[in-house]
Amino acid sequence: MAILEAQSLTKRFGPVQAVDGVDLSVGEGEITALLGPNGAGKSTTLHMLLGLVTPDSGRVSMFGLDLQKHRTEVLSRVNFSASYLGLPGVLHVREVLNSFARLYGLRDPRRRVAEVAELLEIGPLLKRRTSDLSSGQHTRVQLGKALLNDPELLILDEPTAALDPDAGERIRNLLVSVARETGTALLITSHNMLEVERMCDTIHFLAAGRIVASGSAAELAAHFGVVDLEEVFLKVAREGVPA
Amino acid sequence: MTAIAFEPHSTRARRRRIAGVVYRDLAAMRRSPIRVFEILFWPVIELVVWGYVTLFLQANKVPFVVSMLLGAVLLWQVLHRASNEVAIGFLEDVWSRNLINLHVTPVTAGEYVTGLVLFSLIKIAGGLAVMVTLAYVLYGFGLFTVGIGLIPFMAVLLVLGWALALVAISAVLRFGEGAQVVAWSLVFVFQPVAGVFYPVSVLPEPLQWLAGAVPASHVFEGMRAVLGGAPVPWDTLAVAAALDVGYVAAALWLYGATLRHARSKGRLSRFGE
Repeated sequence: MAILEAQSLTKRFGPVQAVDGVDLSVGEGEITALLGPNGAGKSTTLHMLLGLVTPDSGRVSMFGLDLQKHRTEVLSRVNFSASYLGLPGVLHVREVLNSFARLYGLRDPRRRVAEVAELLEIGPLLKRRTSDLSSGQHTRVQLGKALLNDPELLILDEPTAALDPDAGERIRNLLVSVARETGTALLITSHNMLEVERMCDTIHFLAAGRIVASGSAAELAAHFGVVDLEEVFLKVAREGVPA
Repeated sequence: MTAIAFEPHSTRARRRRIAGVVYRDLAAMRRSPIRVFEILFWPVIELVVWGYVTLFLQANKVPFVVSMLLGAVLLWQVLHRASNEVAIGFLEDVWSRNLINLHVTPVTAGEYVTGLVLFSLIKIAGGLAVMVTLAYVLYGFGLFTVGIGLIPFMAVLLVLGWALALVAISAVLRFGEGAQVVAWSLVFVFQPVAGVFYPVSVLPEPLQWLAGAVPASHVFEGMRAVLGGAPVPWDTLAVAAALDVGYVAAALWLYGATLRHARSKGRLSRFGE
């Protein structure tokens, strides 16, 4: 059974058709990317999957449950991290994580925070205010927040956008090992094509709100007659939707 | 290494999630001396200013003014803080771009508001304790001379304040961060017809009708009656409580509708930008 099934999702904001009939399926332990140029509808799609935006039509189900009808159950098994989100700046990292652990209804928040801090190597940051963190540290704390409930589906919007190459590589390795070892499904957006090539099993290209191509990195490169994903991206972004 | 959670719909899970909201706000208060300072600053300033005004009036043989004005100042603070504290709790999530993080957790809208309300109670209790002590020390006014009626008086004002906070939150969800001015000012829209510092009878007749629809006016009228030696007007309080129920129901409906609208129009997503 697929962890996530989205069928015919559409969303219009005024004159703009942000998402136009998107179908998605993500299986257990699978790493899926949603790529596309700015304004292609990636974030709107992710936000519909998280219940932040209500689709005009279409349906989202996770773990066989309809998101609209089973919001609490579904969201307790999902998590989300995005580089553009903030955290309460006055709080220490430990307090932020403790509060989110409670918001996810965990039985032993402190133990879980300690585990996540060890996993993400953010132990030394626990006593620092989130407002004092560098952007890379902030991203790691956001990821820590996203792993607190041991999610079965982890949705990541630009997960390594603010990280240096070394930190980015470590986070990528961690995310891949989380997916492979625990069966957590990952759905990510990224503008780092190398990252997507290395991490993802399946890639969906979005343009003008529609999925215009899907497959592995190699399959997409072959389909478009180019050498790598970077060139696929440029081709889709510059030449629009292929026939 | 796994996270073990309570069953999402269990009472323990709900309690834990509400505690998460309260924990976050308590931790923020602990980390920020400014937040502790502002619990005390405005109430104390108002108490001192109005306290000395009443002493001046008393020296000029105006009867009852000390108890009535100080009682009004203290009870007005209950309404004012109830409205502001809940709205500020929400606005802090907006200011820190944390609202999306909250809305992708299993926390329901009701649990979130309950957490904000519980935290506001803690802050109001702290601020009120200081004010009551100061009123007694500086002016010899004991708020508890209002007697048993004080509890329903405060309860009506607290509930009204929370309802107004929900309206302010709804305004921000609907119109964006710029509407936060509603959070600071909405309660003052009610002040002229609430009869805080004067009896409703001094208002023009149309405003008296309007005042009758404001729960706070019944509380302040009742407080003046009790401080003037009359028994607690339970029938008036019952009217105020019934009005409160209406206000809360309308505010909850508005909040729910605005949240659905924000999700439909993609406005919730914008709070992360």
